[in-house]
Amino acid sequence: MDLDLDAATLEFQAEVRSWLAGHVRPLSSMDTAAGFEEHRSWERLLASERLSVVSWPEAFGGRNASLLQWLIFEEEYHASGAPGRVSQNGIFLLAPTLFAHGTDEQRARILPPMAGGDEVWAQAWSEPEAGSDLASLRSTAVRCEGGWLLRGQKTWSSRAAFADRAFGLFRTSAEGRHRGLTYLMFDLRADGVTVRPINQLDGEPGFAEIFLDDVFVPDRDVIGAVGDGWRVAMSTAGNERGLSLRSPGRFVAAAGRLVELYRKNPDPALRDRVVDAWIGAQAYRLHTFGSLANPPAGPAASVTKVFWSELDLALHETALDLLGEVAPGWRDGWLFSLAGPIYAGTNEIQRNVIAERILGLPR
Amino acid sequence: MTPEQLALRDAVRSLLGKHSDVRAAIETPDGYDEDLWARLCDIGVLPIPERYGGSGAGIAETALALEELGRTLTPSPLLSSAIAAQALLASGNEEACTRLLPRIANGAVAALVWPWDTAEVTATPVLDHPEITTAAAASESLDGTARHVLYGDLAEILLVSDGVSLFEVDDDVTREHTPTMDQTRRLATIQLSGASGTRLGPWSSGVRDIALAALAAEQVGAAARALELTVEYTKTRVQFGRPIGSFQALKHRMADLHVLVETAQSAALAATDEVSAAVAKVYCSEAFCKVAAEMIQLHGGIAITWEHDAHLYFKRAHGSAQLFGSPADHLDRLAKLVRA
Repeated sequence: MDLDLDAATLEFQAEVRSWLAGHVRPLSSMDTAAGFEEHRSWERLLASERLSVVSWPEAFGGRNASLLQWLIFEEEYHASGAPGRVSQNGIFLLAPTLFAHGTDEQRARILPPMAGGDEVWAQAWSEPEAGSDLASLRSTAVRCEGGWLLRGQKTWSSRAAFADRAFGLFRTSAEGRHRGLTYLMFDLRADGVTVRPINQLDGEPGFAEIFLDDVFVPDRDVIGAVGDGWRVAMSTAGNERGLSLRSPGRFVAAAGRLVELYRKNPDPALRDRVVDAWIGAQAYRLHTFGSLANPPAGPAASVTKVFWSELDLALHETALDLLGEVAPGWRDGWLFSLAGPIYAGTNEIQRNVIAERILGLPR
Repeated sequence: MTPEQLALRDAVRSLLGKHSDVRAAIETPDGYDEDLWARLCDIGVLPIPERYGGSGAGIAETALALEELGRTLTPSPLLSSAIAAQALLASGNEEACTRLLPRIANGAVAALVWPWDTAEVTATPVLDHPEITTAAAASESLDGTARHVLYGDLAEILLVSDGVSLFEVDDDVTREHTPTMDQTRRLATIQLSGASGTRLGPWSSGVRDIALAALAAEQVGAAARALELTVEYTKTRVQFGRPIGSFQALKHRMADLHVLVETAQSAALAATDEVSAAVAKVYCSEAFCKVAAEMIQLHGGIAITWEHDAHLYFKRAHGSAQLFGSPADHLDRLAKLVRA
């Protein structure tokens, strides 16, 4: 594998590195009202340099960067210690869905404010009785004049406490589990929407429940065909499980910090685990570069999801064992890493996908 | 378990079932329920002989009570006071035992500053422990900073060991409550600068082994309860039309956790000397951390919420693993002990 970068990519890398060095500063937690707005401002700043969505077409605020350049951007981004992306659900999950299944009108209307941080999106998939078994969801969209009325309850919706809009799956007909689901977008401030923030294990409202009571959604906010929502959703799931939500840059940067930590607190008993975590991050990076021509999608994304979520846990646990106590710089990442094997489809579900759809084992 | 021990365990379990409310306790200024603590003292869970005003319970009985307190994560000074009482007994100072142990038996909170990982008593007249920096004279002027001292800020009776002797300290001490992520465990930082310490007698390294065994019992109780809660949840949570606990992938994991908890309990029960106490500390720390992590994963999204108790078990597991020296510290000690 040739990892030498071409001149244009090197130039891009230098630009990104220099810009980040001049602009990155610590922000408050994005799971607080004030911190959320700080993160929104950061998104606007990124967008002002067309750095918020580098791989998107220029018309929507991007730079038409190649996948390789996007990976390089991510590496620079995480290495610089830049803030978490408050718009990640939109730019990494909804946007790829719109590129694949949306209309030109939807892309032109929705993508630019998403890229600019003016509209922050939350994902509304899980329900109290539909987690791993997502297809059993019960929230409905009922036909009405000019659109749909949403009814039901969504939960574990990250960022929803402060976000502007949400996208999710709704049952539009009673036939079949997977058939009869439709993918819709709705306004979190619309009439009939009640958002109840849920405090996470760190005490901050990182996600929320969403109650929907006859919330009107116009026809133009249906993505894909009515009744085809499951297929549309699974293309987003591939993005969430695969590399877009968790690019290697994040883990390579964290592994680098772990090695630094070891240099300051050498403990021979933990040396192997430090090196294992570092190797894991490098392996994920090389795997990603190696699959650039054919990025993991569908069932293959389950492989990366299991890999990065377990790597993230191991990496943070090793850091804590080195420190002997929970240092502020590692605390949030550690607690967040606990959720990794749960969100975007639990690792139990990912293993089922790998076993049944890749290995062909009987159901 | 003797009939008396069984009765004690049942009494503690019943008391905690009725009165323990960990969420309410951690919201109080001192972080524990004083009424509940008084009732525990009445039951006689402290390891203090009758001749010093105690119930005559031994460390085995205290361990049973700690196991129960671990199950419910009930914040309580028991671990702290029990270790301090054992240090006093080991000092052989009749006057101090007569004067202080009845107070402790009555519920006065006692705290002990001690060198967690000193493998043996050394003759060095300094507080030669990493937790105790800038240590000086061991005689009667004590200097140093000790972190993660159980109930150090609330204790009425404060004992300090430099790894050689045991001192009673009552002034020139700065005590500060230093919260950690585990809100169910009261910890403090104590600064001694020229504090006048009364030398009570020799420090016994056996106190370390008692402390490790006691902590291991508490860890086992918490791990066992965390697993019970997880098993209960997977029996009632339905996905794909069946309880998730019926899926073999989850069943096998919980079966493995059961094996882990049972063996951890054996390790805790067997912890009676230097080697077995270190083994228990390592094994029970790792077992509890493992069970708590699996508790979160098997509960899924609900376990990431503040409302659910899974994070309390998880944070207790990791805090306990570090208390009195990390598993790695004790593995290091064990390696030397086994090699010797």
